[in-house]
This record gives sequence, C-alpha cells and structure tokens, in this order.
Amino acid sequence: MLLYAVVPGDATAPDRQGLTGHRLEIIRSALAAMIVEECTGDFHATKENSLAFAELICSLKTIAPMLPIRFPTMLATQSAVLAQLQANETAWHHRLTELQGLSEVVIRAQWPEPEPERIDASFIPTGTSYLLSRAAALQRRDASVAEISELVREWVREIKVLPSQQGIRIACLVANDDIPELKEAVLGWQQAGDHRHVVVNGPWPPFSFVVDQEAVGA
Amino acid sequence: MSDDMERWSNEDVALVDLLDRVIGGGVVITGEVVIGIAGVDLVYLGLQLVLAPAHEVEQHVALGRRSA
Repeated sequence: MLLYAVVPGDATAPDRQGLTGHRLEIIRSALAAMIVEECTGDFHATKENSLAFAELICSLKTIAPMLPIRFPTMLATQSAVLAQLQANETAWHHRLTELQGLSEVVIRAQWPEPEPERIDASFIPTGTSYLLSRAAALQRRDASVAEISELVREWVREIKVLPSQQGIRIACLVANDDIPELKEAVLGWQQAGDHRHVVVNGPWPPFSFVVDQEAVGA
Repeated sequence: MSDDMERWSNEDVALVDLLDRVIGGGVVITGEVVIGIAGVDLVYLGLQLVLAPAHEVEQHVALGRRSA
C-alpha cells in the first residue's frame, strides 16, 4: 500500500484516485487515520510520480489537517498500516491538533557573493584566503537567517533552516490567515536590500513540521 | 545575481522546493524486525523504511551490480 498522509481519526475519506489509479482509502485507529492506496504491480518513484504525489497531497490539505508521509513509503498490508497507526496515534493526534489551521511556507533568499579582494595583479589565492572567504560567506548566511527569522517572528509558530547549496532556505509554520502578511513583509525586505532575490513558496502541508521539535529535543 | 536564479523562474524554484519537501520531509515510518529460528530470537533489525527516493536506491543497486 502506498501511504499518503496521517489525518485525524474522524476525517472523511477523500473521493479521489491515487497515483496508480486506485481509489484512495482511509484506515483508522481510535485517534488517527492514514490515507493509503492499494498498490498492485510495479510502482516507480519517478519525478512525475513525485510531482503527482505532491499535487495530490496539497489538494488533500483542504479535507483535514494532515501529516504528509515521506514519498515514497509503502507497507505490505492493511494490518501493517494499522500497526503503525496504533503505535504512533497518540503522538500523531497531538501533533495534528497543534497543526490545525497552519501551513508551511519556504523562504528562499539568495544574494550575489562579493568578488574576492585582490591586493595586486600578482595575488595568488591561498588556503588561508579561501578559508577566510568561506568564513565570511557563512557569517553573511547566518546574519541573513537571523534577519529573516526576526522579520517573520510575529507570524511564525515554528521555524526550521533547510539545507541549501546556495543562499538560504527557511521553512516556516504559519497560520493560514497570516500568510499574506508574511509574504508582504518578506518581499518588502527584498526591496530594501541590494540585489538580493527572495521567493516565498507555499503554502503547503507541513512537510517539515510533522514532528514536534520540542518533543524531539526533550 | 547568480546565473541559477536568473535562469530559473519562480515557478521552477517553487517546484524544486516542493519536491524537496515531499522527498525530504514528511513522516518517516519506522519499524523493527526480530529474526529468530525455532522460537529463539537471533537478530534484531531497527528499520527506517524510507531512507532515500526509490529511483536513487535503484541507481545505487545498479551501480553496485556493475562494480561487483
């Protein structure tokens, strides 16, 4: 069975077909339920399937608060799904209650890196100069993370810095009603800076916030 | 501005971020298996059922076969 999302135990079953053409089903325990699809034959996690999964999960968000399940996760039988539900239902139920009315947005910010300073034409980069430039880049990155975090603090319930090869990516858990204000504030921050490029993506189901970070850290 | 950000539209960037979250975020199902013979527990396996996208796993398996 292909797993889609954990939803509240009393959520209605979605009237939708899944990725392999079967009707989506809902398997319930007392406190939580899981949206699944019977999956017979070969299933490949192609880019197209990943995208279709993402679109389907985003469309299901209107049905109930949800904890999306990492794609592609499959379990062999309904009883295996039920066993997972029963083992985790208390924590999942608690988290679903916390996430009611909240969505994830991802702020992606990038800026041009300054050219390395050259003392004269004969300057040859050394290991030390490379390390110094890397340290400066990391300091700029940390400062931008702190600046954006402070900027959105008013609207954000939880925040998580995501891995990024260029610039920064920050996932924010935000009340649905607050998303327009947050986007406006972030775009204002972009216009106030020199050549920085900022994009706010989402809102999406809370992919980055399925686990209570405080509970994990405790 | 970097070439990457100029070349990619905001829609492309949103798509990349969404796919990244679909594959890199979400609930990870964990489990455990005890393998035993004749009622004697011999091996315990802690499982994280999804560690990587399946197509990447397939590529790793194929590479492993080629190098074997």
